[in-house]
Amino acid sequence: MKLWKKLSLMTVTVLMAAMAASGMAVIYRSTQYNQEKTLEGCEQQLSAAAYALGKELEYGPLEGYSEATRNSYVNYLIKKIGAEKYILVQDGKVICNLTAFELKKPEDERWNRPEGYSIIQKRGNQYIIVAGKQVPAVGKEQYRLFLVQDISELYEDMKAQALFNLAVFAGAALLSLVLIFLMTQTILHPLRKLQQAARDISEGKLTSRVDVHTKDEIGVVAKAFNRMAERIEDQVTELSQVSERRRQMLGSLAHELKTPMTSIIGYSDSLLHVNLREEQKERALQHIREECSRLERLSSKLLSLMGMYENDSIFMEDTSMKELFERVARLEEHHLQKKKLTLIWSCDMENRKVDRDLIESLLVNLIDNSAKASKEGGQIFLEGEKDRIRVRDQGCGIPEDEISRVTEAFYMVDKARSRKAGGCGLGLALASRIALLHGAELHVESKLGKGTEVSIIFRQ
Amino acid sequence: MKTKILVIEDDSSISELICMNLEAAGYEAVSIADGLEAERFLRGSGGKMSENSGTEGGIDKSEVALALVDVMLPGKDGFELMEDLQAADIPVIYLTAKDDVISKVHGLKAGAEDYIVKPFEILELLVRMEKVLKRTGRSRQQIRIRDVVIDLKKHSVTKGGAQVQLKPLEYELLVTLAESRNVAFSREELLNRIWGMDYVGETRTVDVHIGQLRKKLDFHNVIRTISKTGYRLEDME
Repeated sequence: MKLWKKLSLMTVTVLMAAMAASGMAVIYRSTQYNQEKTLEGCEQQLSAAAYALGKELEYGPLEGYSEATRNSYVNYLIKKIGAEKYILVQDGKVICNLTAFELKKPEDERWNRPEGYSIIQKRGNQYIIVAGKQVPAVGKEQYRLFLVQDISELYEDMKAQALFNLAVFAGAALLSLVLIFLMTQTILHPLRKLQQAARDISEGKLTSRVDVHTKDEIGVVAKAFNRMAERIEDQVTELSQVSERRRQMLGSLAHELKTPMTSIIGYSDSLLHVNLREEQKERALQHIREECSRLERLSSKLLSLMGMYENDSIFMEDTSMKELFERVARLEEHHLQKKKLTLIWSCDMENRKVDRDLIESLLVNLIDNSAKASKEGGQIFLEGEKDRIRVRDQGCGIPEDEISRVTEAFYMVDKARSRKAGGCGLGLALASRIALLHGAELHVESKLGKGTEVSIIFRQ
Repeated sequence: MKTKILVIEDDSSISELICMNLEAAGYEAVSIADGLEAERFLRGSGGKMSENSGTEGGIDKSEVALALVDVMLPGKDGFELMEDLQAADIPVIYLTAKDDVISKVHGLKAGAEDYIVKPFEILELLVRMEKVLKRTGRSRQQIRIRDVVIDLKKHSVTKGGAQVQLKPLEYELLVTLAESRNVAFSREELLNRIWGMDYVGETRTVDVHIGQLRKKLDFHNVIRTISKTGYRLEDME
């Protein structure tokens, strides 16, 4: 069952139960009261009649008359006191009965109380009151006066009232049921929105949000839900990006392996199957060797990349950055001369705890990149400041939309050219990894056609 | 005159590999390593190419019978060169490491005759080239091996000017070996190629026919048995 149905049914049930209980209590109480009042009234009437009868009989005017005369006198008296609802009993025998009823057991002692006794009896469909009382002492004769009154009407009234109450109750119940249904539905409507949004998200529509701004608990839940949805969306996007990058990296790796493999397979195939001249055979072998060392380079770079991902054991020592720069400049000198490039370096850095080999290879890497991008006769700047090292060139630059990706493994802005220059697309990935190990960040800024500036920013 | 093949490939090692094998198989190879350079060559009116050609003389684009084109090239990629290649009426076989279906379809739709995925076998390359050359009517009219001349049009073979009578299967075998001269064929490959895939015969059949060819053409030192491989028709000129 739906929550709104449950809630409204629950409310209606409780409400109805309360209403029914109070209604029943009221009806019961009023019935009781009416009965008491009627009985009281009867008793008063009876006692007044008994008193009057007693007074009449006290003077004993019947003394000496015959039985029949006496009876008719008594009949007369009772008629005079009131209507046809009295029964007079003398010494346990009915001597006068004007009612339509017959008195059973008139001799029963309970009727002989001076204060009177009354009872309600049911005769068929009729309810009657029987009240009996001793007539105050009249000589030596014992008289009892009974009052019998039909009170069926009273019960009819009560029944009608109960029925009316029931009708009102039913009407109120129906009305409240409808009203409560409508109200709970309105209150719980945001829940349905929440459900829809949850379904959307589970179906992969991660951008779905709940449009609920109430201030109640549902509003709070909706807010929390939206926050959760946002997190999920972020994480899923990030995850899919990561896996996409990984997929691309694997694809690139496969591609990088294919080129040297093509050569190696081709040359060895030729050596095996093709009738080559001696000098061609030699060239083929040279090529196989070259391509193998290309693969070796690739694998060792990959290994160092992987190794650094897993094993953070690096050897940090207090290093004079100036000496380190000098050594890098010396290492690059020969390489740069071939392209007629000049390395201009300056260093204002203090000694720093670094892994010399790693930082050296990082700088060599960055300078090599700059050299590849630079035109012949260009300049490359290596600058050390307080907490950053900058490698700047005036080369071809990197397109803006690719800057964020250059540190990905195997990412090459210009694949064909880069491979020709001996690159395999791992340099910057490695560099950013080395920077990270030193608590530094790699920051790449570039303008197409103007040059590139890579900064290694050390955090304190 | 040798059939001229244009090789547009930026990886110098692969380029040299292809040229080396083409020359061994009796073609003349011209290599270009750059997309833009290829474009210049293809657009140039009668411009001669002499550098990188590996041969002494320069050649004209109209002499090129077939182009082997790498897809990923610096400057201009292989697909972009298609228009110029078609304008110069040169059939194209793409060579690429991209073996995904989409780029294959893209290459063939653009008008390439064939598509070979790296790494490839030399024999496969040569056979596919020969097929394309035949299909486009650019195959050689005759093949000369020492004093033997195979006239591919007339289906006749002469040795030192004298007609040599060959059975049809012997002729096919000779042509297959001569078209990819200096490249070794396995017996299975020869069976497949000449007798057909369905032929259920022994590789001995090949040996028998090779023996006949050797005898009829005096090719005992030309058609060589390569141990563990098969046969190779050797002719280094």
